[in-house]
Amino acid sequence: MLDGRSVSVGDRLPSLTVRFTRANLVRYAGASTDFNPIHFSDHYAAKMGLPGVIAHGMLTMGTALRVVTQWLGDPARVRSYFVRFTNPVLVPDDADGTEVTFGGVVEVVEDALVTIAIEATSRGTKVLGAARAVVDLAD
Amino acid sequence: MAISADHVGRRYPPTSPYQVSAAKIAEFAHALGDEDSAYAGEKPIAPPTFVAVISSTAWESMFADPELGLARRRTVHGDQRFSYRRPLRAGDAVTATLTIDRVRSRGSADIISCSADVETVGGELICTAETTFLHTHETDA
Repeated sequence: MLDGRSVSVGDRLPSLTVRFTRANLVRYAGASTDFNPIHFSDHYAAKMGLPGVIAHGMLTMGTALRVVTQWLGDPARVRSYFVRFTNPVLVPDDADGTEVTFGGVVEVVEDALVTIAIEATSRGTKVLGAARAVVDLAD
Repeated sequence: MAISADHVGRRYPPTSPYQVSAAKIAEFAHALGDEDSAYAGEKPIAPPTFVAVISSTAWESMFADPELGLARRRTVHGDQRFSYRRPLRAGDAVTATLTIDRVRSRGSADIISCSADVETVGGELICTAETTFLHTHETDA
């Protein structure tokens, strides 16, 4: 993990860009057992007043954390993780889906505890707010 | 009936034990597009947000509580926090116990904060999952 590299406030983590298609949402629905139809049915999403089918917030949250765990090399070191779901990620029923880009920056280093501020953007809009993960680098 | 600050502190019985399996962990990691080797093999750990699979089942008792008058379809997931003692592992048998922590009224909506303690059946706390819901009141419009 991190291979002895030192960690400093302001360090940027490698970013991650993914594409969510309807197939990704169906797969996440099954894996998570969250079968709310706003995540696969246009008809139901419209009935709920949404402009279209939206990604599970937890899919966005879970994918965003990959920025941290890939940088860290050890997901067992995550101590806490918070996100606010600020804007839904609309996923059209086409081959392209919707691109979401995730980034992270070291915000606090307190002994072995490191706080990462996470950003998530889709179509120019922030989709997660105040996202923070705390990881423990202690031996 | 409607939810109010009077319901703060209400705690529901634990969910039925959930057995974490290597197959379900692999399925979940794949759904996140996550190829981390920690999630593979015979004795994998679960991706940190896998806890939601269990903690979200604890919400059902709150949504089914007739005294609160909540409707899932009028509820939006506002924010989510996980605080981990250790990762979930294949082989863990866990329950989630939900507590209502805070209720605030904002015009036509309630802001409900609740937390689910995810513990092994042996009583070891693994993670607390705190959630804020925005619940909109029913309107005739």
